[in-house]
Amino acid sequence: MASSLGHEFVTMRLEGQLLGIPVLAVQDVLSAQKITSIPLAPGWVAGVLNLRGRIVTAINMRERMGFGPRANGGKDMSIVVEFHGEPYSLQIDRVGDVLNLENETMEKNPVTMDQRWREVSRGIYRLDGELLAILDVERVLGSAEGAVAA
Amino acid sequence: MDDLLNEFLTETAESIDVVDVELVKLEQDPNNKEVLDNIFRLVHTIKGTCGFLGLPRLESVAHASENVLGKFRDGELSVTPSAVTVVLESLDRIKEILSGLEATEQEPEGDDGPLIGKLDQIAEGGEPEAAAKPASEPDLEIVPTLGRALKPGEVALDELERAFMEAPGPDDDVAANDDGQAVSAGNESAGGRLYERAGGDDTIAVMAHLLAKRLPRHAKLGSFFEGIDDNLRQAKFSGLLTSLFKDDENAANNVMASIISVPGFGHEEFDLFAAEAKAVFEEVRLANDVRDDAAMCLELIRDAALEGSRKNAPSQKETKAAAGAANEDAARGGSVEKRTSQSIRVSVDLLEDLMNMVSELVLTRNQLLQMVREKEDNEFTVPIQRLSQTTTELQEGVMKTRMQPIGNAWAKLPRIVRDLAVDLDKKIELDMRGAETELDRQVLELIKDPLTHMVRNSADHGIETPAERVAMGKPDHGTIVLNAFHEGGHIIIEIRDDGRGIAANKIRKKALEKGLATDAELDDMSEAQIQKFVFHAGFSTAAAVTSVSGRGVGMDVVRTNIEKIGGTIDMTSVEGKGTTFQIKIPLTLAIVSALIVEASSERFAIPQISVLELVRAADGSDHKIERIKDTPVLRLRNRLLPLVYLNKILGFDSSEGKGEDAASDDFIIVSQVGAFTFGIVVDQVFDTEEIVVKPVAPILKDLSIYSGNTILGDGSVIMILDPNGIAENASSSVAGENNAVEEKTMVENLTINDESESLLLFRAGENSRKAVPLPLVARLEDIEVDKIEMSDGRHVVQYRGALMPIVLADGLTGLRTEGRQAVLVFTDGDYTMGLAVDEILDIVEDHAEIKIVSGKPGMIGSAIIGEKATEVIDVAYYLAQAFDDWLKSRDQNTDVAPTRGTRVLLIDDSAFFRNMLKPLLKVAGYSLVCVDHAQAALDLREEGETFDLIISDIDMPGMDGFELAHILKKDGRWADTPLVALSSFSSPKHLERGRAAGFNDYIAKFDRKALLESLSQQIKLHDDAA
Repeated sequence: MASSLGHEFVTMRLEGQLLGIPVLAVQDVLSAQKITSIPLAPGWVAGVLNLRGRIVTAINMRERMGFGPRANGGKDMSIVVEFHGEPYSLQIDRVGDVLNLENETMEKNPVTMDQRWREVSRGIYRLDGELLAILDVERVLGSAEGAVAA
Repeated sequence: MDDLLNEFLTETAESIDVVDVELVKLEQDPNNKEVLDNIFRLVHTIKGTCGFLGLPRLESVAHASENVLGKFRDGELSVTPSAVTVVLESLDRIKEILSGLEATEQEPEGDDGPLIGKLDQIAEGGEPEAAAKPASEPDLEIVPTLGRALKPGEVALDELERAFMEAPGPDDDVAANDDGQAVSAGNESAGGRLYERAGGDDTIAVMAHLLAKRLPRHAKLGSFFEGIDDNLRQAKFSGLLTSLFKDDENAANNVMASIISVPGFGHEEFDLFAAEAKAVFEEVRLANDVRDDAAMCLELIRDAALEGSRKNAPSQKETKAAAGAANEDAARGGSVEKRTSQSIRVSVDLLEDLMNMVSELVLTRNQLLQMVREKEDNEFTVPIQRLSQTTTELQEGVMKTRMQPIGNAWAKLPRIVRDLAVDLDKKIELDMRGAETELDRQVLELIKDPLTHMVRNSADHGIETPAERVAMGKPDHGTIVLNAFHEGGHIIIEIRDDGRGIAANKIRKKALEKGLATDAELDDMSEAQIQKFVFHAGFSTAAAVTSVSGRGVGMDVVRTNIEKIGGTIDMTSVEGKGTTFQIKIPLTLAIVSALIVEASSERFAIPQISVLELVRAADGSDHKIERIKDTPVLRLRNRLLPLVYLNKILGFDSSEGKGEDAASDDFIIVSQVGAFTFGIVVDQVFDTEEIVVKPVAPILKDLSIYSGNTILGDGSVIMILDPNGIAENASSSVAGENNAVEEKTMVENLTINDESESLLLFRAGENSRKAVPLPLVARLEDIEVDKIEMSDGRHVVQYRGALMPIVLADGLTGLRTEGRQAVLVFTDGDYTMGLAVDEILDIVEDHAEIKIVSGKPGMIGSAIIGEKATEVIDVAYYLAQAFDDWLKSRDQNTDVAPTRGTRVLLIDDSAFFRNMLKPLLKVAGYSLVCVDHAQAALDLREEGETFDLIISDIDMPGMDGFELAHILKKDGRWADTPLVALSSFSSPKHLERGRAAGFNDYIAKFDRKALLESLSQQIKLHDDAA
């Protein structure tokens, strides 16, 4: 939970953008896994995988955000988070460092931010030379849920 | 939450549920002492425990209802519905307070005064002024139950005293049995009580003080009284005297038992104690008569004193004495049911966790087994086998812990039905059978609400008022029967009422209003189909919204809930007679056996339960996928099964692209959805595996094609297919494909309803659409024209090692000159013929209602099929054309009975069938009379017509076949006439039902051979018998 010191965030990159997820929300960081695809599922659902006996639904974040497949190939990394009691693994390009950031320095999403990012970002931190967008899992999966139903 | 409170809540909730049920029983059987004792004990326990935990609201309510129950038990009051209603009301209040407690750990605010007043009023025999208030007074903060909760010095003396004045402690049921004077707590109307005469609180306080001081110093009695703290002792004596003088014997007994906590207190000691007490009475100058009365009161507690002493363990000293008494009391009041406790309470969460872990263990075990299997002869084999065995047993054991009798889900129903009956002024009997049938807890939880809803529905809408019932000639009390039993890995639950049934015309009106169907559509529907609209979303049958139903939950929710757990629900209703719902649910959701299949190199699991059979279709094998236009079908034992390709459904496509050749080595999983059977074509079939079904992630829940996912032995995740979903999804998956139209046909095939028929459409002659019922068609062939020869002026072809005559369909001018000729093959007994047509168009599901009956040979008439006029051909005509001796053979076939001139009555609402059968039976030599509904048949009976045999359809609007059979067989001139049922359903169950109703035989529609055989057989049997 939020301490006076601030939050620790696991950072990752997707299509060049630096993203962060609170470290406590992250259950696992996975390298590429054997994934069973789910025919008929929305494109951004990569499939399901077995994580130590738990079935985890893999979300292709590139698809989810509307980016095409990775240009240079490379292996996907995944970050496992829990949403409404179910584990989801978010496939991203690369996992970075863990940063400790002060709560006070978090800012609202700037209006100039790419609409796609704004939709899934809870807020941003200004780092040296770039912005760290804090990924709102609720919005990534919640709105996705709505999208399937629609 | 406090452990103690938690325990209390669980226990009390259970007790309350039992009381609910028992009270309803009691109402029906007011003299059942056993039931009454049981209720009394439970309520008493609840009251006692609340007192122990310091829950004044609960205790006062429980106490007041206990009073009433006590009077029931002692015969002072008779058990009346109104009294029971008030007691039930108090139980509801208790539940309400309990739920508040559960949420906040505090008793919720609220005024129980009126309720308690009502209860007291009943306890007093209904005198309004006797309605007492004190028990509900707000200052009842702590009602100590002496001898239980108290520890020395914990409760201030005055508080204790006051509490005792105002509310009696919990009754002791042992003593209450002897002379249960459950006196209303604050009965102040009795002015002449000992309490007032003795001088009230002040005098009692003095007496208590004197006794408390003197007794411990008494030469002989001292040892019995010195174990208790002075203040407490004084308080206890004060309580004892107060309750004694107030005539509250139960409380007095309690206190006495707690005072005498040392063994060895016998009659002699009690006499001494009484003498001492009398001395005190004298000392405080009680009037003579008061003194005598008081002395007599003492006798009342003699037993309690002795008992208290006897029951206490020898070692008690000081505080332990009180504690011991508390235990003792708890033991008496608390563990009411004296069953030796061989079971313990385990939290459901723990069980769920256990189950999950066992599931994981099973998966890991499977994984290990697979690894060991790959390496023969290694040191792990034996231990792993042992592990495997143990795991299996563990799994079974844990599964068992989850099994619960379905009666648990029913526990609340008697109360609900009873309340409804009172509210609605109906007489309803609830008959529950098979309550011990066990099923998985999870399933049980999910089925509970739908069941409750349905029973509520039956009581509210189904059962009529007694007056209505009597007017209809039914017994004045309605019956709702709940029946649960096992059937082939499923649990069947039936909810049957003998009420008014579902009025099809009302449903029809409503369906129209809601725009669920058009007039024309409704016209085509049978009554049963219309009735099934109650399962439609947004459909509520309640003509008026009553307080009982009309909560916005309709049967559609029930259906959805049941389908969610893989169950099905069906309904049959006869207007005026009643309604039966049948629910079929799986035993458990957790572990199922599944068939692993492959499509496009991906593996999927299909639950075994939905697999009817597995067919391999390959070149040269008996089975082969045929195509009607572009619709693939499989002919299986003379039935054409529509097929769906899993590849296509799942969007892998390659579909038809594989062409007919590649598709020739396929596996077909024959599956059944509802009454409809179809085949799923897959690339490969592996073995079956026990799988642990895990739900799919919520974000995928809209993919109805999957019922879950699981981890296989090799550690990979696999999706579990849901055949229901496959049927539904058949069309959407191939959106954009060029054969969308055909898919539409497929969907129509899959969503077949029971009244429509499968029809094969073909073209013969220019713009001439013709149709033939698909079940009559044995095979479809494309025959090379070269192979068709002429013989004896007729076209024949060598077909399956025999010569098959080919007849040109009406409208066809000649066979093709080159290429291939489309031929429909019909088979009847030994006769096989081909009908040459121009083109096979399609297979459709439609209501083949003959609009214009044709006089033209070879044609039954015209029908609107697929919105186009279509001629329905008469197969019998062509058979007769092909074989001169076909008609004769008919005679031979049926010569077992003199069929010529045999009069047959056919009752069928479908003009199509009537027209279909008429020529068939006529050529067989029967003389046929057709009517289109059951009543018409009965009219014929009245007119004095006689028949040698009656054939009746089962599903008919108005009176159905079963009912007709029942009436015919009961009496009248047709009672001995053989009766043959004709139905689209011919499962063993239907057969059974048919026979039970009085049918001599039960034939599937379209099975002409069986029909003719049956007819002649029945007639023969009848003649023989006659």
